[in-house]
Amino acid sequence: MMNNLQRIQPPVYPVEQVVIPEAKSFRLNNSVPVYMIESGTEDIMRLEFTFRAGQVKEYLPLLASTCNMMLSEGSQNYSSEELNKSLDFYGVFLNQSAEKDSAGIVLFFLNKHIEKVLELSREILFRPVFPEPELNSLMKKRLRWYMVNREKVQNLAIDQFFESLFGKNHPYGYQILEKDFENITPSLLTDFHSKYYTPENMAVIISGKIHNKTAEFLNSYLGNIGSKEINNEASVNFIKGDKLKKVHINKTGTVQTAIRIGSATINKQHPDYLGLKVLNSILGGYFGSRLMKNIREEKGYTYGISSSISSLDLAGYKVISTEVGRQNCQKTIDEIYREIMLLQNVPVKEEEMAVIRNYMSGEMLRMFDGPFALAESFKSTWEFGLDNNYYYRLAEKIRTIEPDEIIELTKTYYNIDDLYEITVGSE
Amino acid sequence: MINYKRFTLENGLRVLIHEDKSTPLIAMNILYDVGSRDEDPGMTGLAHLFEHLMFGGSLNVPDYDTPLQLVGGENNAFTNNDITNYYLTIPSVNIETGFWLESDRMLELDFSQKNLDTQRNVVIEEFKQRYLNQPYGDAILKLRPLAYKVHPYRWPTIGMDMDHIKNTDIEHVRSFFFSHYAPNNAILALTGNIGYDLALKLSQKWFGPIEERAIQSRKLPAEPEQTQERVLTIEQDVPSTALYKVWHIGPRKSKDFYTLDLITDLLAGGESGRLHTKLVRDKKLFSEINAYLTADIDPGLIIFQGKLMKGVDIQHANDSVNEVIKGLQNESEIKDEMEKVKNKFESSTVFSNTSILNKAANLSFFELLGNPGLINNEVEAYRNVSYEMVIEALRKYFIPSNCSTINYISTRKEK
Repeated sequence: MMNNLQRIQPPVYPVEQVVIPEAKSFRLNNSVPVYMIESGTEDIMRLEFTFRAGQVKEYLPLLASTCNMMLSEGSQNYSSEELNKSLDFYGVFLNQSAEKDSAGIVLFFLNKHIEKVLELSREILFRPVFPEPELNSLMKKRLRWYMVNREKVQNLAIDQFFESLFGKNHPYGYQILEKDFENITPSLLTDFHSKYYTPENMAVIISGKIHNKTAEFLNSYLGNIGSKEINNEASVNFIKGDKLKKVHINKTGTVQTAIRIGSATINKQHPDYLGLKVLNSILGGYFGSRLMKNIREEKGYTYGISSSISSLDLAGYKVISTEVGRQNCQKTIDEIYREIMLLQNVPVKEEEMAVIRNYMSGEMLRMFDGPFALAESFKSTWEFGLDNNYYYRLAEKIRTIEPDEIIELTKTYYNIDDLYEITVGSE
Repeated sequence: MINYKRFTLENGLRVLIHEDKSTPLIAMNILYDVGSRDEDPGMTGLAHLFEHLMFGGSLNVPDYDTPLQLVGGENNAFTNNDITNYYLTIPSVNIETGFWLESDRMLELDFSQKNLDTQRNVVIEEFKQRYLNQPYGDAILKLRPLAYKVHPYRWPTIGMDMDHIKNTDIEHVRSFFFSHYAPNNAILALTGNIGYDLALKLSQKWFGPIEERAIQSRKLPAEPEQTQERVLTIEQDVPSTALYKVWHIGPRKSKDFYTLDLITDLLAGGESGRLHTKLVRDKKLFSEINAYLTADIDPGLIIFQGKLMKGVDIQHANDSVNEVIKGLQNESEIKDEMEKVKNKFESSTVFSNTSILNKAANLSFFELLGNPGLINNEVEAYRNVSYEMVIEALRKYFIPSNCSTINYISTRKEK
């Protein structure tokens, strides 16, 4: 036994940024762009079809999400039951989602089933029939889910947060009401689908084990989907934040209050975004962040507190989120502002900078580890017209950002008077 | 096929290694063979509270997280009825820091009063967030004591009473540590960019000097067989009435485990599961439905939960669930569905094993079960389930006297 072991930290080696695999791109016969990322050791695939068909395109609340959910509820050649049975039979995992800007489907499957998957995808994406009974049944279920979700303080808080930031009339901002569940009809869905689920609006992102025939298969199943040549007028919606910065929603009988503090901000395309990512991490982006250390590890007010920064097409937004015991709500809010003011005025010490630099460098390895992570990282830059240079610049920023820049960024982007403060809980 | 190697240190620490050079990272998973089932009934929630304390500093390391973040690492942990599991991922160049941190907190924790005071509050906030401030959040808290009368699975991992957490003192914590945290009560799994030789060398260097400890022996009272159906009715101000049902099953290692897993997949696996197809889609009795088995080491449960559509009678909903389960006995219908869930199980196993973290957690848990080879053999075990085994299990487990039901009634008036 080596009892003379010195239990001190072993040498710390710098975390080198790995070379990020570049996506190979080509176009199908109908010009749809395809991006293929070769990665991983298993014979599996992640296949994503993404469309510019998110909430921002909808002219009625719930239209984008309902259209997306109804894609698998029956097509020209399959009933919803047949589609679901078939996907399950081939061991396929299908995720459908409609975000604020984009919507689409992601399929995970064993490569040996690729032809079946493509055939079913074509049905789901381009031949849905939006049957009325399935629609009615879906809307009744969604209303029940909605009513359960509206019992949760964290949902009430984030819904109000978006409304305050982006406005009651913008699809990024408006809140869903009970009556909205009655307004969706098959013809509205057909209209929305034919405008936005089109080859012009679409891209394919594939990752995993790419085979010789992968491209050929894609072309044979999807390369002849034609355009409907509908001209979509550009959106005339403007983002308009509310004048009122503080909103409290009373929710009786709750033992914790949800807090959301933040504002609209720049998105990924702006050069300051990289530094803002680092600032966000220091403030509340990881377990060792200022907020986590103060509010959870020092004071024990909460199970968790975090801050995040996100990019949308029309803007970005940043938000600090937590749920705290009712009696500690105001104390927590005061501490959040105090932490922001500290970052505006006191340079971050070199020890903390070293931790954040290395932690974030490690995060960047995790962002590109394996086929699923790679595809998600690819998509989140590609959507903004950026490429892997964005990540190399981010890695560089993480290595070189100075405490002065953190101060400047906090002053510019975290002006406390500009922040919205939403609280939901019992009074 | 996941290749792995295995060795045991002289102090009893078991180590498993799976090398995968395609990643620049290493996952390190340490499983301690202690969970909420090992708690004193008057001091429940201690195993989980202890998990929180494990991040508050150890003998030679005042703060666990910062040095790990300094080398680009990320970590977390969970506690359940059976185990406490700590895991991290780390760039491979800095793996030795992982060994240093994990071995130091196995060696001895810094039993700090301040840390205990803070983490007690954090756990109480966690309890509120998960169970009190969510609609239906308390259902699971009520289900356990309905199904278990004697066995420690009758309380939830977070504790049956927050007073237990409030009353924990530093002496409880210290004695819990020395009776459960030890190399001979732990399993270390390393997956990713690490080879056998380095893993062996570092394990010997950092964990080797920690001495074996006397582990508190496990004498858990067996749950007596349930002989009568149990029903509990609760009224709450929630948007919809909900139905919860549980059936006792055997332990994780029993021969029926994969059969029961397959049955729950037939019932509730994916959009095409029986319960979903028949009761959500066709009859529109429920807005959502789920069923799963707990996979506990001691005899566990199959748990069914569903939320009712407006105006549906709960007795009718309950009868309909029983009818769907009974319908599984119809052989002609079920053959294709068995093939379907077997395919789905295979693909979900392949997907799960694309993550180094999952592989490390699975290797550790299967080693605890005494058979790390399960990481490669589970698909076959599941594929080997026959129609006859399904019928036998249905008749054995899905009987009223083995079932507990909660009728969770909404008192809300809706226009």
